[in-house]
Amino acid sequence: MTALGRVLRGAVPFAVLVAAWAAVTGAGLVSALFLPTPSAVAWSLWELARDGSLWMNIAASLGRVLLGLVAGVPLAVGLGVLVALNRRLAPLVEPVVGFFNALSGIAWLPLAMTWFGLGWTSVTFIMFNTIFFLVFFNTLVGVRTVPRIFEQAVRTMGGSRRHVILQVLLPGALPSIVTGIRMSIGFGWRALIAAEMIATSTGLGFLIFNAANFPQSDTILVGIITIGVLWLLTDRLVLQPIERRTIERWGLVSTAP
Amino acid sequence: MTRQLVVTWIVLLAAVTAAWGLAAAMLPLPDYYLPPPTAVLAALGDLVAKGILPDYVAESVRRIVLAAVLGLVVGVPLGLILGMSRRVADFFYPLLNFFQSVSGVAWLPLMLVWFGFGERTILMAVNYTVLFPVIFNALLGVRSVPRLYVNALRTLGASPWRVARDVLVPGALPSIATGMRLGLAYGWRALIAAEMLVGANGLGFMIFNAQNFHLTARIMLGMGIIGVLWVALDYFLLRPLEEATVARWGLVQR
Repeated sequence: MTALGRVLRGAVPFAVLVAAWAAVTGAGLVSALFLPTPSAVAWSLWELARDGSLWMNIAASLGRVLLGLVAGVPLAVGLGVLVALNRRLAPLVEPVVGFFNALSGIAWLPLAMTWFGLGWTSVTFIMFNTIFFLVFFNTLVGVRTVPRIFEQAVRTMGGSRRHVILQVLLPGALPSIVTGIRMSIGFGWRALIAAEMIATSTGLGFLIFNAANFPQSDTILVGIITIGVLWLLTDRLVLQPIERRTIERWGLVSTAP
Repeated sequence: MTRQLVVTWIVLLAAVTAAWGLAAAMLPLPDYYLPPPTAVLAALGDLVAKGILPDYVAESVRRIVLAAVLGLVVGVPLGLILGMSRRVADFFYPLLNFFQSVSGVAWLPLMLVWFGFGERTILMAVNYTVLFPVIFNALLGVRSVPRLYVNALRTLGASPWRVARDVLVPGALPSIATGMRLGLAYGWRALIAAEMLVGANGLGFMIFNAQNFHLTARIMLGMGIIGVLWVALDYFLLRPLEEATVARWGLVQR
């Protein structure tokens, strides 16, 4: 089946859903305030796209994701490798980072607001710390579980510490790291939406929370659909291909979808 | 081994507390930026004495346990049933995937329009967040059982019920465990967010409210408890579940 064929087949359940939705609202079973008709939502989508506010909010949210990634991943991987190399430090740091992992995300928002006030700094910080702790933890665990024999083999052949890091530890930890990145974006995206509802005035989270004030249910639904579609696109078009081209292609253990 | 772990933890705790206290005392920041560990302990004593903290903890725990039970009792069977037929599974897979990626928190504004600011809104958001990964993974679990086993049992004359009970359900268990873990991880975080936005009680509300008054010690206390509670949830709910099923029957983990 061609790619187009697969996309079409995947769209059938949604077509059925939209049809059911239209039927329920058309039959007047629920008030328009509760559940606007599909056409009302489509109209709202068109309006928001036309006046640019949809794109602006999407850009704001995605921009924060990117910022969190760019700041968080290199720092987390770098620190993770450094700490993992130190055999005394690593077992001590691991449970601490594991604990912070459990804490990551939206729970940091009040503290972030105390430190940075309202605005994009606090919200981006949430994204950053979710990514940082999870990737740090996964890098730490990943590097520590690389069998020592590989490191010893490279050393036997005269490899320096740099060779060990670049050719043994990092590739060996890569499945863990990539999984960590993927998971952290998943958690972070959710935390981001929640943080945008509370602490800032741009972004998809703000869009839908603000719309509840009026209340503009059709705008809310546009936002919800956008959030879902964006995540699916990111996962399908960016994250999974990265996984496929790195860990699966190199025959390292691959994770379930 | 356990004794070594306990000693490690005590040393770690002491070191972190000392470093923290030092930083709090030395950094040229206003008091409310980084309260010292003593302030957090004082807040703990204060809130426990007033009965606020136990109440908030109980509320949050109640909500997440409710969601976990719902996930187990409704989500797992639903996912299993949906997974049993190839056509039904193929139909629901994209829908479940889509709805799973929209967290319950994103539905909160709509639920606020529907139910207003109240308990029901929080519960709906959290239950939604927990249910979808559970259903989705249960469905995936059933679909991932090798046809060979199903065929083998049918060759021996098993009814569909026996096939479901003896092959499909056990085979789906690793996925179900993953689904529960993911669902509760997302759900716990969604709960905190929902309590911040909607609630009048609970840990999320506590730390959010404390921020309004710059009671940073309370914020840190709340955050610590949130982390500890997740570890406890993992230890008392998820691990036993995984151990009683996946590990005990020697099924492949993850």
